[in-house]
Amino acid sequence: MTVQSADGAKGSAFDDAEFSTRLITFIASEVAMSDDEIVADTDLLLTGLVDSLGVVMIVDWIENDVGVTIDPADVVLENFQTVAAMVAYVGTR
Amino acid sequence: MSYGAHLGYVCQFVSLSEPVPEFAPTVLGQLVDAARLTSGSLEPADEAIADGTRSLSWASYVDQVARLAGSLVAIGVKPGDRVAVRLAKSVDSFVAVHAILRAGGVMVPLDPASPSELSAAVVQDAAAEVLITDAKAPVIAAIAEAAPVRSVVVLGNIGSDVAASLPSVRILAGPEAFETPPGRLVHVDDSAPAYIIYTSGSTGRPKGIVHSHRSALAYAATAADVYGLHRRDRLANIAGLHFDQSTFELYAAPLAGSAVVVVPDPVLRFPASATALLESSRATVVYTVPSLLRQLSIRGALGERDLSRVRWVLFGGEAFPPGQLAELMGQLPAARFSNVYGPAEVNQCTFHHVPQPPDRDVPIGRAWPGAAIEVVDADDLAAAVPAGRPGILMVRSETLMSEYWNRPDLTAASIVERSGPRGGAERWFVTGDLVVERESGDLEFLGRVDNQVKVRGQRVELEAIDVALGDIEEVRTGIAVIGRTPTGDSAVVAVVVPASEQDERTSGDLGKSIMRQLAQRLPRVAVPVDVVVVSELPRTGTGKIDRTAAALLLDS
Repeated sequence: MTVQSADGAKGSAFDDAEFSTRLITFIASEVAMSDDEIVADTDLLLTGLVDSLGVVMIVDWIENDVGVTIDPADVVLENFQTVAAMVAYVGTR
Repeated sequence: MSYGAHLGYVCQFVSLSEPVPEFAPTVLGQLVDAARLTSGSLEPADEAIADGTRSLSWASYVDQVARLAGSLVAIGVKPGDRVAVRLAKSVDSFVAVHAILRAGGVMVPLDPASPSELSAAVVQDAAAEVLITDAKAPVIAAIAEAAPVRSVVVLGNIGSDVAASLPSVRILAGPEAFETPPGRLVHVDDSAPAYIIYTSGSTGRPKGIVHSHRSALAYAATAADVYGLHRRDRLANIAGLHFDQSTFELYAAPLAGSAVVVVPDPVLRFPASATALLESSRATVVYTVPSLLRQLSIRGALGERDLSRVRWVLFGGEAFPPGQLAELMGQLPAARFSNVYGPAEVNQCTFHHVPQPPDRDVPIGRAWPGAAIEVVDADDLAAAVPAGRPGILMVRSETLMSEYWNRPDLTAASIVERSGPRGGAERWFVTGDLVVERESGDLEFLGRVDNQVKVRGQRVELEAIDVALGDIEEVRTGIAVIGRTPTGDSAVVAVVVPASEQDERTSGDLGKSIMRQLAQRLPRVAVPVDVVVVSELPRTGTGKIDRTAAALLLDS
């Protein structure tokens, strides 16, 4: 599945589903505080799966993987509460 | 000066702007109470507490506290009974604390991020039979099964699945708990225990610091006085209930009639969200640890926030590197900045106002009102050392704890009695902190006499982590040291020798397994953020593991 955004922000090569899967794998193996299952709409914060160090690790990973710089002002709860929210945020970059 | 005199001073301070009737509570239950609404000590329609989702006026806050207190009494809470609280930071968490105090109970806060095994150990040690919580059913079950809990008040979620798994425990669900008619204030003596703050002991067994209503109110009155708290103030609550910094928002705020803005934990994980909440909630006083202030400084997008309403930033619990503090002071030019020092046993005992962005370490300052301090020889506590020479800090204060809960041995080891100038007995607390008095008369913190360290401002006993490492099958020997996270904070690192040389997992996977196991058992701040695997650990001349040398292995 490819994403066609109206202003062609990232181009058609970016695959949301594939990115989502890799991000989930990264979080589950390197960041998560427990072995609970993670899916795209798992609330990572209320469940305590991701702590503040984990947020930094996720931001770093996304920046390296996608090749973007994330403005610190965008690192807010709304954009990182679930993997789906993160994918949607990256889609706007 | 008695704390009653402090309160008189507070009332006079506030009366410069608006006359307020004199209010001299003797127990904490009088703080959030209807009598203050009728006397004019609190304005019923003013906002008392908010958490970004909900907010309560003083009238609603008083009502909610009184109803939950009524429920607690109805389920059998008697004066002096310990009631444990494991709640996420929210309006409900503050209501729960004040309800317990109104019912005459003793509040025992549990860290909501800690493993259920640890909460169970605390509940067992305190012999708490009632738990107020919003945790998930498996966590509640684990605590109730291991401890003498007979009733659970479940807030936030309906407790139907909890009830099914705990047939012998009485479950009271949230909405019902607030439908009871408002209960009356249950009076207890001011010397009675009000709350117990648990901290890790050096063997891993938790130890409880017992504060009475008197010591709690002495702290609240002095803090309200020193920081000039008033009815238009809005104090940010950042510390969890289990961290004694929260006593500032829990007790000093309502004493002065100040509002509290709770910053929930998910928001705190995003510094940019936390600063947005501080801005939108119009916070005026912020009290927290340097590592969190550092995160707000570098990742909080302060350049895009208007925090000019913050008039005072208080920091404590650990050192604030002067360059980092200077940077934050530049970002918040309208605020005063003060270093707050005091072990949880005395809440606070010194303070130092930082006059300008510092270029060297900030001292812990001088004794605050009501406290006396002395620097003594580590080998002879009766011998004071002169200025310029390091020694152990001893404190005499009205804010001193009553005792360590059920630990007369530890209490006797930490509190020295001396005869006072007028013949009575004075209780002096031996802090275990090494300090030195500078020429200026300010005290400087040098370190500890033991292996206690601070992570994010909270105590961690390295020896307790050693004990936990020793219980892990995959570890032959291990030791805990202090390292740094990628964000620059202090954190625990475990250095281990694996039990089996043929362990086929990578050292990365072995490390993760060890960290996961420790996370089931230790307080969150004590869980190592990394594990370094070595073939042998450095030893001292006597054969003991050399912790200092082990710490040096982190750099290689």
